[in-house]
Amino acid sequence: MRAVIAEDSVLLREGLVRLLSETGLEVIGAFESADDLLRRVRSESPDIAIVDIRLPPTHSDEGLRAALEIRASHPSVGVLVLSQYLEVALAMTLLAYSAEGVGYLLKDRISDVRDFIDAVRRVADGGSVVDPVIVSTLLSRRRRDDPLAELTPREREVLELMAEGRSNQGIADKLVITLRATEKYVSTIFGKLGLPSGGSDSRRVLAVLLYLRS
Amino acid sequence: MARIRADPQRKRPRGSACAVTAVQYGAGRTVSTSGLVEGVDAAAVRARRSSVSWAIALAGCAAAACSVAMAHLSDHVPAPHLQSTLINWITLSYILSGVVAWWRRPQSRFGPLLIAAGFVNFLTTLSWVSVDLPYTFGQALDLLPPVLFLHVFLAFPTGRLQGRFERRLVATAYLTAIGLELTRMLLGGFGPHNLLEVTSRPDAAAVALRVQLIAISAFALTGIGVLALRRRGAARPVRPFPALIVESFALVLVMIAVLLMSVVLALPGFATIQRVTFVVVGIAPVVFLIGLLRARLARSTVGELLVELRADPGPADLRDALARALRDPSLALAYWLPQFGSYADLRGWPVELPGRASGRATTLIDRDGAHVAALVHHPSLDDEPELLEAVGAAAGIALENGRLHSELRARLEELTESRVRVIEAGQKERQRLERDLHDGAQQRLVALSLELGRLEERLRDDPEAIMRLGEARREIATSLEELRDIARGIHPAVVSAHGLPVALESLAARAPVPLCLTVALEGRLPERVEVAAYYVVCESLSNVGKHAHATSASVEVAGEDWRLVVEVVDDGVGGADTDRGSGLRGLADRVEALGGRLQVWSPQGGGTRVRAEIPCAP
Repeated sequence: MRAVIAEDSVLLREGLVRLLSETGLEVIGAFESADDLLRRVRSESPDIAIVDIRLPPTHSDEGLRAALEIRASHPSVGVLVLSQYLEVALAMTLLAYSAEGVGYLLKDRISDVRDFIDAVRRVADGGSVVDPVIVSTLLSRRRRDDPLAELTPREREVLELMAEGRSNQGIADKLVITLRATEKYVSTIFGKLGLPSGGSDSRRVLAVLLYLRS
Repeated sequence: MARIRADPQRKRPRGSACAVTAVQYGAGRTVSTSGLVEGVDAAAVRARRSSVSWAIALAGCAAAACSVAMAHLSDHVPAPHLQSTLINWITLSYILSGVVAWWRRPQSRFGPLLIAAGFVNFLTTLSWVSVDLPYTFGQALDLLPPVLFLHVFLAFPTGRLQGRFERRLVATAYLTAIGLELTRMLLGGFGPHNLLEVTSRPDAAAVALRVQLIAISAFALTGIGVLALRRRGAARPVRPFPALIVESFALVLVMIAVLLMSVVLALPGFATIQRVTFVVVGIAPVVFLIGLLRARLARSTVGELLVELRADPGPADLRDALARALRDPSLALAYWLPQFGSYADLRGWPVELPGRASGRATTLIDRDGAHVAALVHHPSLDDEPELLEAVGAAAGIALENGRLHSELRARLEELTESRVRVIEAGQKERQRLERDLHDGAQQRLVALSLELGRLEERLRDDPEAIMRLGEARREIATSLEELRDIARGIHPAVVSAHGLPVALESLAARAPVPLCLTVALEGRLPERVEVAAYYVVCESLSNVGKHAHATSASVEVAGEDWRLVVEVVDDGVGGADTDRGSGLRGLADRVEALGGRLQVWSPQGGGTRVRAEIPCAP
């Protein structure tokens, strides 16, 4: 599995390179700027690009624009965007049209090495990863006649993990329940929220996020 | 005491007829308007001028009587009664108008020029005499009057020709009128009294006559062109009366050209054309005279101005009142702001006085020794200094009020600008702090946490190490969370980086009550506007959570006509105190510094509505 990185902090960039290399990923490029990253993505077509949202020269949205460009021009390359702060609107921008091979995580998540590597692999494999902060922000949003109030605490947990982009197996592992139980929860949740069930995991993420956002 | 000075660029007037006092601002004409104290010298000059004027007027009348006598005694003047009446109409019209003009404006050459034209016109009638010497003299001057009239008209209103072209035109015209007349007289054909006749060449004399008449017609028409060009050069609307004077001058020049060309072309009805022309020629100075007297009459408009000013018009109406009193719709007022060292309009915005080349004239107005304002007006008003003085004196207090008003506005403007600068400097500083935090402490902590995570992976077999490392990582995560909150409070980087809608969506998602967010914006706005709007929403929602006990709220953000309107409404208990606490005062300061305004409606039990309007000029 081959990865490229764009991160302007030297300390963090080198830390990331070491971490990924230690866990068996091949880092084929680690850059300070979005332009260098884009050049490498075009020439090497890696499995995943890990991009800091704030990159030089203006440190505003260069990273986000690079991520969107890779999503548009190289759909096969997974894009994992890292940021010091998370914005619901940016998550939705990244996941617009398709949630395949895309991730949006708080930078802090890197230190949870196993979870982070898991996320990297999921995105590289075409899955989706949405930071729990985004999901909990959307879930905790105040609503009138909140349909989420109908959910049991367990169903709520399952919904959260679904929104984070986990597969049924992933949810089952995380909650230490059986796959069948998970599937049952999922269909109950879809029924209660009035969402059409079925479809791939990434479609499910998008459907749930759009539902929570509306 | 109000004092008026003309544009310092202009020359000091000659003579001491006007009370000339010390000049304070540059070398300019300074004319007292009230408390006018004339010296003994000035009184003596007045008396002398009075007697000279009377003498000239009497001489003019005597000349006219002389012409009548010569016409009736002449053996070669047809219809002597009519002829002498027409000629004297012109002679007296110019001489008497000239005397009045000289009396009213002794420093202007225009009056003497009129008088000269009148007397030369009289001298031409010497050719009616059947005696050799006067006949020859009068005949030699025969075609001089048309050229003199051209000279007079082009020299209006100062009595001086402007520019080399005009001087050459008039000089050439004089040469043509005298030179060709003498040539023709040498060539004979003028009868027995012509002393200059040396040969008799009627053909050559006829050619010379044609050339002379055509040339003078052409000069007259060129004169009309010059007058027209001058008029077009005045960019602002021309004051009505001087325009009428110039038009009457142009008409005279047209008639002169017509008359002379009717001779060249041997048109029928020459006698009629001649009579009409003579009448028109005599009317021009009368029109001028009426204008001159009107200037004196115009002082009555000063009375109207005083009545208007007694009603205490606002400074905005003052210009219109002065424009009416001066009969100059193009009048502009510029107030002098000594602290700023510049002139300013009523809004306090700096204005430049027009230069000499602009075709505008400037009169400076002082009050109690201090400079107050400048009137920028049509140059023809320079010929009515009395009017300017009277109007300036009448409007003294009102002008001072206007000046104070302008100064206040200018200071306010300055204050607003400095407030914007302070806010912007503060914002830049906050932005820099946030950046430093992000690039420094936050990144280092994340990198540190990552190292701990990697270490944790290596020490998988040591449960205690894992536990302690995990604790350390959680501590770091908490610190990062706190740092993020601090950074966001210092500067909402998301607003600068991704725009208001993105930032507002997260705010809305975290709102303490169900919230309806509507954002209608196209493209980005200036950063300071976006940040201010962000803080308005942020602070208002925080108030909703803290004080409102609301069940729902709405946020509407819309860009309309170069301004951003932000409205946050809740259905809570209302009664928000805009003065103490609640951060509303700080919000108002921020919004007002950008030239906007923040309004809060918060009746007891009726919810709270916060509305900010922020101008966002590009």
